[in-house]
This record gives sequence, C-alpha cells and structure tokens, in this order.
Amino acid sequence: MAQKISITVNGIKRTVEIDGWEKLVDVLRDKLGLTGTKKGCDDLSCGACTVIVDGEAKKSCSMPAIKADGTTILTIEGLSKGKTIHPIQKALIEAGAVQCGYCTPGIVLELYALFTKNIDATQEEITNALAKHLCRCTGYEAIFEGAILAQRYMKGNK
Amino acid sequence: MNFKYIGKNVDRPDAIKKAIGKAVFIDDIKLPGMLYAAILYPEYAHAKIISIDISEAKKSEGVVKIVTGKGCDFRFGDNVQDRLPMAVDRVLYIGEPVAAVLAENPNQAKTALKKIKVKYEPLPVIVDAMDALKKDAVLLHPDSGNYWHLPGIGPEAGTNIGDHYCCKKGDIEKGFQESDHTFEGEFVYPWGSSAALEPHGAIAQFHEDNTIEIWSSTICPFVVREDIARKYKVPIGDVRVHVPEVGGCFGYKSDVTIEQTVAWIAHFVPGRPVKWMCSRKEDFLSSLLGHGIRTKFKVGVKKDGKFVALQAAIYHSTGAYVDTGLHIMRGATHNCTGAYEFPYCYLDGYSIYTNTTPVGAYRGYGHQESQFGIERMIDIIARKLNIDSFKLREMNYLGPGKYTALGELLWESNGSVKQCSDIIKKKLFSGSKPKEDDKYYYGRGFSALMKSPKGAPFSSKSCFLKFNVDGSVCINMAGAEVGQGLRTVVRQIAAETLKISPERIRVYTEIDTQFSPWEWQTIGSMFTIQGGRAVIRACEKAIQKLKETASQALRVDTDMLEYAGDEIFLKHDPSIKIEIGRLVHGYMYPDGITVGEVIQSTSDARLPRYCNPDKNGQGSMGVTYTFGAQACEIRIEKATGRTIVDHFASCFDIGRVINPKQIRGQVNGGVMMAIGATLCEEIKFDKNGKCLNPFFSKYRFPNIKDAPKKYTVEFIETPEHIGPFGARGIGEHPVIGVAPSILNAIYDAIGVDFFEIPVTPEKIKKTLEGK
Repeated sequence: MAQKISITVNGIKRTVEIDGWEKLVDVLRDKLGLTGTKKGCDDLSCGACTVIVDGEAKKSCSMPAIKADGTTILTIEGLSKGKTIHPIQKALIEAGAVQCGYCTPGIVLELYALFTKNIDATQEEITNALAKHLCRCTGYEAIFEGAILAQRYMKGNK
Repeated sequence: MNFKYIGKNVDRPDAIKKAIGKAVFIDDIKLPGMLYAAILYPEYAHAKIISIDISEAKKSEGVVKIVTGKGCDFRFGDNVQDRLPMAVDRVLYIGEPVAAVLAENPNQAKTALKKIKVKYEPLPVIVDAMDALKKDAVLLHPDSGNYWHLPGIGPEAGTNIGDHYCCKKGDIEKGFQESDHTFEGEFVYPWGSSAALEPHGAIAQFHEDNTIEIWSSTICPFVVREDIARKYKVPIGDVRVHVPEVGGCFGYKSDVTIEQTVAWIAHFVPGRPVKWMCSRKEDFLSSLLGHGIRTKFKVGVKKDGKFVALQAAIYHSTGAYVDTGLHIMRGATHNCTGAYEFPYCYLDGYSIYTNTTPVGAYRGYGHQESQFGIERMIDIIARKLNIDSFKLREMNYLGPGKYTALGELLWESNGSVKQCSDIIKKKLFSGSKPKEDDKYYYGRGFSALMKSPKGAPFSSKSCFLKFNVDGSVCINMAGAEVGQGLRTVVRQIAAETLKISPERIRVYTEIDTQFSPWEWQTIGSMFTIQGGRAVIRACEKAIQKLKETASQALRVDTDMLEYAGDEIFLKHDPSIKIEIGRLVHGYMYPDGITVGEVIQSTSDARLPRYCNPDKNGQGSMGVTYTFGAQACEIRIEKATGRTIVDHFASCFDIGRVINPKQIRGQVNGGVMMAIGATLCEEIKFDKNGKCLNPFFSKYRFPNIKDAPKKYTVEFIETPEHIGPFGARGIGEHPVIGVAPSILNAIYDAIGVDFFEIPVTPEKIKKTLEGK
C-alpha cells in the first residue's frame, strides 16, 4: 500500500511515495535517481549500499524505507561538491583503493561517518569499520592505507 | 632503458567518477518503457517439465508477458552449442531459467512469479564428475553427439563427457621405466564464485526495425553480438552491444553468460527494453561458477630428484553445459606441470556434465587448480626423498632451452622462475620461523608457478587512434575495464610512444560495438600484451602519417624527419620544424591549398603463431609465459584451528612494470581472492543438486580482517619480445601459487598434509584433535 515519507537527502527535503515493503536503497536509486548507492547482496554482507542516516552509516538494502521517514540522509552524491571531491575520496584514489569502484561509495561513506564522529579513530576502529565492507579487487591493503591517509587529510582540514 | 611514463604511477582516468558515485554500471541504466524480468527456477536439479500453468500469474498486477522456453529451437555457445536460453522440456541444474515474468516494476514481476505452477518429473541427479562417469549414470545430454562444436573439441556421444583433451610428450611408459621412484596424489579444487561485487545484469531490446540492442555487464561484447545475431538471424552489425562500467569480473563475466536468456525474454516484447539484474543468489547459481576440478597425479623421479615423467588425470565437474568450461579443463591439463620440466608427459583431461551450475572462467583459468596439486606433490616428494624442497625445485625448473608439456622451447625472454624463486626464498626462508607457543603453531610454505595466456588463434585486440588539432589524442579500444586499470595502461603506453603527457590522451570510457574497434574478449591477462602492442602500432602508424605530411610541408624526404611529440623537425637542422597541430587535418599552404591525410590510424595485435593443438595435444598455445614464485608465513590458532596468513610474498617475472601502484593492487587482490578459495570459500551442492550457500552470509568471502598483515610484491623485469616495452600480463597470475603455498605452510606448522581446499578452521581443529 502506498505511503508517503519525508526525508532530507543531501540537504534537500523530499517527499516520496513508497510501497510498504520498499527498502531505502530502492527508494534512493529508483525513485530519487541516486544511483551512486550500490547493491551487491541482499543480506547485509557487502556494504556497497551504505548511506548515512542521521549521522550513522547504515546498510540501506536492509532498511525499510518507512523507517527512514523524518531522517536526514547523506548519499555519495551529497559528499563531493561539483569539482571539489571530499578528502576521503582524494585519499582513496591516491592510495590506489579504487579499482572497479563498485564498493567505493559505501566505503567512502563508512569512513565519513567514522571520522565525523571520531577523527582520532584508532587503527583497530578503522579496521572494524572497514570490515563491514567487502571488496574483491584490492586485497584491502590500499583501502586501509587510503583510510589512514583520509584521516590525516581530514585532520589537516580541521 | 629510460622511460618517461612507463613505470610511473600515472593516475587512473576513471577513479574520480567511481569515487563520487557517478560511474554508470548496468543497474544504473533506466530506459524509457523499460520492463523488468523476474525468473523462475526449478525445484529439482534434474527433471522433466510436465506442464507450466501461467493462468493465475497472468492476472497479477502489472504483468505484461509471461515467457517460457517452449518453442525455443536453438542452442547457443561459443565452443559447443549445448546451452539453452531457457529450459524447454527438461531442467539440468537448480539455477536454470524455467519461466520469466515481465512487468512494469521488479516487485510486480516477483509477485506474479510465485503464481506460476510447474509440474516436474524428477530424474536422477549427478553432482560429481566421478559419478557421471559410472556405467549406469543417467545421460544428461542424450543428443550431445549432434551439438555444433568447434573442430577438435566437444562431447563424446553416448557418455557424459563434454570434452576430452590429451597432451602427450614422449612415451610415458618409457618415462616411468626410466624413473627410480613414483609418487601419486589426488587433489580437489572445489567450486567457487568469482563473486564480483557487482552481480551480472543485462538489458535487451528488440527494436521494431529488426535491430537488437543489448547492454550488459560483460567483458566480451563482440562475442555476445555475434552469438545473438546468429540466433535471431540478423546481420551481425544490426546487433549493438553496450558495456557500461563493470563492477569487477574475475572471469565469470566472460563468454556469453545471461545475455541469451534476457534476449529470449525480450524478443517476445519487441520495442520494449527488458532488464534483468541478478540477485546475489542468482549470480551464484544462474551465471557461471569457477573450478570444480579434481586432479590425479603420478610423478616419476630419478634418485637424485630429477623429474622424469608426469601422468595426470583432470576431472572437471563442468556443470550442466560444457561450452564455457572446457577450455578451463584444457588449461588445467597442459599447465599442470607448473614451472617444471618433465621430459615425459601424459596429461589427460575431461570436462564432464553434472547437474550443477555451469563452470566458466575464473581468474587463473585452470592454472591454480592443477598447479595446486603439483606444488603440493613436490613438497611431499622432497620430504620422502629427503631432499631440500628448494633444491628439488631448482633442479627441475623450466628455463631457456627447456621444453614445456606443449613442446614449446623456452628462451631467455620467457623470464626466469629461478630468479623469482631466489628472491622469495631470501625474503621468507633466510631465518628460522617462530617457535610454537601457547596459542599458535607457525609455518612457512612456498610455491613456484607458470602462467600461459589462454586465448584463441584469432584472439586479436584493436585500437582506433585520432589526433586532435591541439596535438592531443583520442584512443578508442574495446578492452573491458573491470578495475584492472587497462585505461591507465593504454594512456601510459600511448604517452610513451607519442612522447606527449598522459593527460593529453583521452582514453575511451565505454564500449559500444557500433563504434568500438573489434576485440575478441578481454580475457587471459592479455590486454597489456596484445592491447598495448596494438596501441604502439596505432601510434607508430600515426607518426608515420604525420611525417608524410610534414615532408610535404618542409619539402624533405620523410626519413630525414624526427618526431618529437609536439613537433616534427629536420634531423640535421632542428631549427626547421613544424608543430603537430598544423599537420593533423592536413597541412595548409599559404594559398589555402591543403595536402596530407587526416591523422588517425587503426591497428590490431594478436599472439603470434598461437595455434590449435596437434594430434598429441601439443602446439604453440602458451606463446608468452610468465613465471613466478609465492610464499607465506602463517599461524594456526590452537583454540580455533584458524589459519592466519601473516605475510604473503609474491614475485613475478613481469617483463616490464607499467604502473607500480596498479600492479601491486592487482597482485594483492589476486592473493586475497585465492586466500579466500584456500581457507574459506566453497559453493556446496547437496546430493540432490541443491545449493547450500548461495548468499554472501553463507559463502565466506574474506574481509579486511582476513587480509595478510603484510604483502610483499616484487618483480623481475626480463623483457618479453611480444608485449609493449617488454611487458607481460599479471591479472590472473597472483592466484596461482596461493593454495599450495598455504597448504605447504600448514604442513610445516602442524605436520598434516591437506589435499583439498578450503582448509577451514573446523577441518584443522578436527585434525588437531585426532592427533
């Protein structure tokens, strides 16, 4: 049955008609055209669909859209500003952490949520955050190095 | 040699779009009027279809059409045409499409799907190749003798053998007579999934004017184009295939995968684009799996450890269709010697039909499956003969003047396994390993490896190049960028050859068979070698054309001219020169009269003298080999049986490093993937052919916590004659020596030989408890 939800996505207030069963990922991708959020599995395993809901990194493939009503959401499209990319994106690119790129938006947002809350996150905390994501390309070394570099960049930007 | 751009960490041209979420993948494409397909799968892995009742489903909301395989009068395939887009009267595996619903949105399609009622008559199920070979085994393809196939390959009628290949070098009986000892072993590399993070997906549209358009997450658009054209009887040029960004491949997006199924569904609704995106479960069960290979070895050895004879039997549980699997078996068979010379070989391989998901390419393409066995055998033989395992390897390594199983003579330029081995030995085996403590056992293990490309004699790659009036260049190729970084490689090779900066070279981003030059498929770690060579050829042709126009402008013979990137000058008087931009669209004299060709060029490159096998299964099918060595330091946790890879080291004779950062990423990614295969990943089918774990939550895919704490990546650069600037491929190579080096390390740690992967914590714990 159709219902309406109001969400603030990337700073813009949106009202969307949804079906009760719909997941947040499908609303973002299909109804709002925000296809930077990716789908890799359906069981909370891969993290490609991660977005930031009220400051927390959430796997949008498992979040009922109805539960997002009234929230503030940041997707990958909201992070870079025109030609200015976010330091996390810059760091991951420089570290060679972007190969096929399918896991990248989710990882960028995971790190954004982590460093926004705690810019001094320890290496263990960074690893724990990254462990919510799967990447088949890199063997994770470059992703970890990119995360450390991102932390450095963000500290410098403060 | 001094290079300006080769060997440098040039930036990946596609990185920003990917990092900001603007790269367009197949699931991001939405076309006007698009319909969504949902597909029904059977309840049985082998059954006759008695009836399909669609009456209730048809009434469901949003349903446009319900499609079955009824009336499909063709089989398709590249090697053996044994495949069907949708089951006609029988199902052969649990992921086989039986029917499809087309609806205005995916959820309507899924809802209607549940209302289709199918009656089956179950048939006996075969899951393992060894059972399919039994005398009383049910025939999965009773008509296999009638299937079209390429010459020299294909099914043995009246059996479940889908393909048989035998490679003979000398008289094997004589080899065993000359041997002082023989050793036997049997090894299993089970099914796994390439499991790219992006699942398969495709869109097909049959236009009203009889043209067909396909969008697919594929690495072989030209193969798809030809296969679709053949089956729907339209000129090949009337099929247009688009490849958006591909979110990882690792093999299983090569060959025709899901495109024929989507086309079959779409051809019922001309004018409407039809999209099908695989769920992860569908990606596991209805695209292609990897491996499924059992290898039996008999090795004949002299007293001093010199290898004499190798007899191998490779049994490939290739799944319901053999088309995409048979060359993996062939690769596994003739590459099973690994990096060693055996004067006598009898290597026998079988691809065998089973009621499981068809096997297709997986990074490594047969190499890791059989070299896993030989590298384990060598450690065991060294132990039994009481010879140092490095000494045993070193006295048998292939190298200049030695012959591979295929009968190919090796030269200096084929690279040195010995040098790779020495580097790895020094890095990991100079000191002693840590002593067992309260919590852990420690071990180290080694493996050498050999990789040959797996191609076809006609497997060319092409390049279109055009100069712009500002001296910048556009390059258009059809190599599928799946994350391996070939766009960067194209840029660097072109920059080096044209002597202009990489930023001035615009590399194609998407493939469209209507505009892209022809390429067979982006497979076999061959893009750098072949594609890179095509780039150089196109650049050289363009330079020649520039010189021809310059010779008219400067009124001098072309051989008196020197090309310098932004200008062409007279060799003996560099003050007489002309800038490139003035030549690109022809040179204009002061009176306006213009001469000379527009500066654009085309080229291609293939593997020289790559051939079909002769009657002994031999021939030039390796052409350009790569050798390497890998090793690891591991810990086994006593409490859990968990194997922790602390350090993984790889060294390859790569010929020439084009981009150090990218190449390290390739090696680490490959090593990690193979650590997954070695320690946790396996697709499991029960005896009824039902898959037990087609989800990421049940198919253990390594995360960052499973990654080695340290990766060592080293390269030897013995230039190769075929590749650009001496370069060889690297994409698949890092997976080859991982399983044997870890299993050799496990023996070193706990004194137990494993012959089958994955070696899970449960298996080790059980073994430790039994000790």
